[in-house]
Amino acid sequence: MSEENFKKILLALGIALTALFCLGPFAYMMLTAFSRYPDFLLPDQPYSATLENFRIIVFSESVHFLEYLRNSIVISAVSSVVAVGLASPAAYAIARLPLPGKAAILFGTLGVSMFPPISLISYLFKLMSALNWINTYMALILPYVAWTMPISLWILVSYFSQVPRELDQSARIDGAGRLQILIKIILPVSAPGVYSTALLAFIFAFNEFIFALMLTIDASARTIPVGIALFEGLHGQIPWGQIMAAAAVASLPVVLATLVFQRRIVQGLTRGAVKE
Amino acid sequence: MDLNSNRKTKLAARTGLDRIADILQIERESLTAFMFLVPLFVFLAVLIFIPVLGTFWDSLTRDVAFLPKKFIGTANYRALIADAAFWQSVRFTLLFVFVSVPLEVLMGLAIALVLNETFPGRGFLRAAVLIPWAIPAAVSGRVFELIYHYSYGAANYLVRILDLSEGPVNWLGTDLGSFAGVVLADAWKTTPFAALILLAGLSSINPDLYKQAQIDRANFLQRFLYVTIPLLKPVLVVTLLFRTVMALRVFDVIYVLTGGGPGGATTPLSLFAYRYFSSADFGYGAAASVLLFVCALLLSVLYVKAGRFQESLQ
Repeated sequence: MSEENFKKILLALGIALTALFCLGPFAYMMLTAFSRYPDFLLPDQPYSATLENFRIIVFSESVHFLEYLRNSIVISAVSSVVAVGLASPAAYAIARLPLPGKAAILFGTLGVSMFPPISLISYLFKLMSALNWINTYMALILPYVAWTMPISLWILVSYFSQVPRELDQSARIDGAGRLQILIKIILPVSAPGVYSTALLAFIFAFNEFIFALMLTIDASARTIPVGIALFEGLHGQIPWGQIMAAAAVASLPVVLATLVFQRRIVQGLTRGAVKE
Repeated sequence: MDLNSNRKTKLAARTGLDRIADILQIERESLTAFMFLVPLFVFLAVLIFIPVLGTFWDSLTRDVAFLPKKFIGTANYRALIADAAFWQSVRFTLLFVFVSVPLEVLMGLAIALVLNETFPGRGFLRAAVLIPWAIPAAVSGRVFELIYHYSYGAANYLVRILDLSEGPVNWLGTDLGSFAGVVLADAWKTTPFAALILLAGLSSINPDLYKQAQIDRANFLQRFLYVTIPLLKPVLVVTLLFRTVMALRVFDVIYVLTGGGPGGATTPLSLFAYRYFSSADFGYGAAASVLLFVCALLLSVLYVKAGRFQESLQ
């Protein structure tokens, strides 16, 4: 067998395995969500498609699914907008302004973002209890903003550095202040980068689990990952079809966004680790 | 004359900030820069730094519900050292890191090598790789819980049709099965990230090097070993360290999948500490999380150093 053929076979095998590995569990989740019974893989068990699971999670109030979803979307959207909004001036300062210790600030925030969340949740719990914010949106929005700011900062610095310096220099000559330059020139010029940063921050907040587990109590602020994790059903039997339907709907926004903005997300994710 | 009038308008436009800059004897622009950084510093200080310091302090106290808080020095740490469940958790955490990280990076490298080739449907496959990454870990934990279901899960379906075992495997009921179970579920979620970083590293390798190696009659295994691996090494190191820090703190997928069981066999340190927090024993939980924090911090420093080293190469 020639080397060329061997490589072709290896590649075909790699493609098949990659697709199976990545899509297999996802497909299984979808199949179960649309199946009348979750045991359709048993021998002699026919697959019977239904929308019943989706109907139950949407219309059964005891499941609280829509409330969890709404909480997740509002909390993640506000967190990501605030995080990017506050990280933008910081990123602009690092990309453009004279500042001692820029590298220390950048790498320091990177280090902070790698702290294990468990080493701060007990204190956050006490803080939010003292403020009477346990089980409210604020209890999650504030930590999510802090938690997504470092990665937002990193990505934004790399986008802002690509904006030609002539643009802000000519604005300086016209007498614009730094904040004006940021808002009127840098942000619009790097808008696609800013949107993808916000999208990444949204995904991180949407997927976050341990803060939401510790700082919320019930459907008034509980987010969808925690809701699905604690979803046990009322009658002893775990309602797998409903859980997978909920999982499918919860995955939908992030999966769709990821597929649509694939290129930008990959760019954003790899910015920190690999310089282009 | 012109210079003079310019100076006058500047003087007229002086603001409070200018005066502060003068007093501090720094450039006006540096002061602006500092102001732009204030929100970042405030958020990180109030919601990350102070809580971490607070956890440190808590770890030196007896801090349980319904009793007054009391400073007890290193008593929590001494109790931890004598706690068999703590050591079981340490052992599991280390084993989890040592097995899952190399596995994820190797699989990530394999996927990155595949995605770096040109073939029809490459765009589709690249998108498919992102799906496990995008799904919340708690949700994928639930999916894997069903996959490992004893009587009708997909794992035992495969075992049956491939005739791999006498009967169905009790995945989450045994130490070995649950360990393999959490490693695989975690790998599903995290391998794509490793693959993406490594793919970015691969695509930055100059294709001329491969052409040159081909002219020198290196076969593709040699090209991989002598061109790809050495050039990818800095990216590999960064990926390994990053994944190690993340694997040390593993929580979501295990909390959902096994809840730490059976019999505490899959309890990572995060979950060990969380159990004490959720039963309002803040001091003891804090001591465990401080130990985890110190390990993660040391590795993060290494990671940041590795990243900088890589930067200085370019």
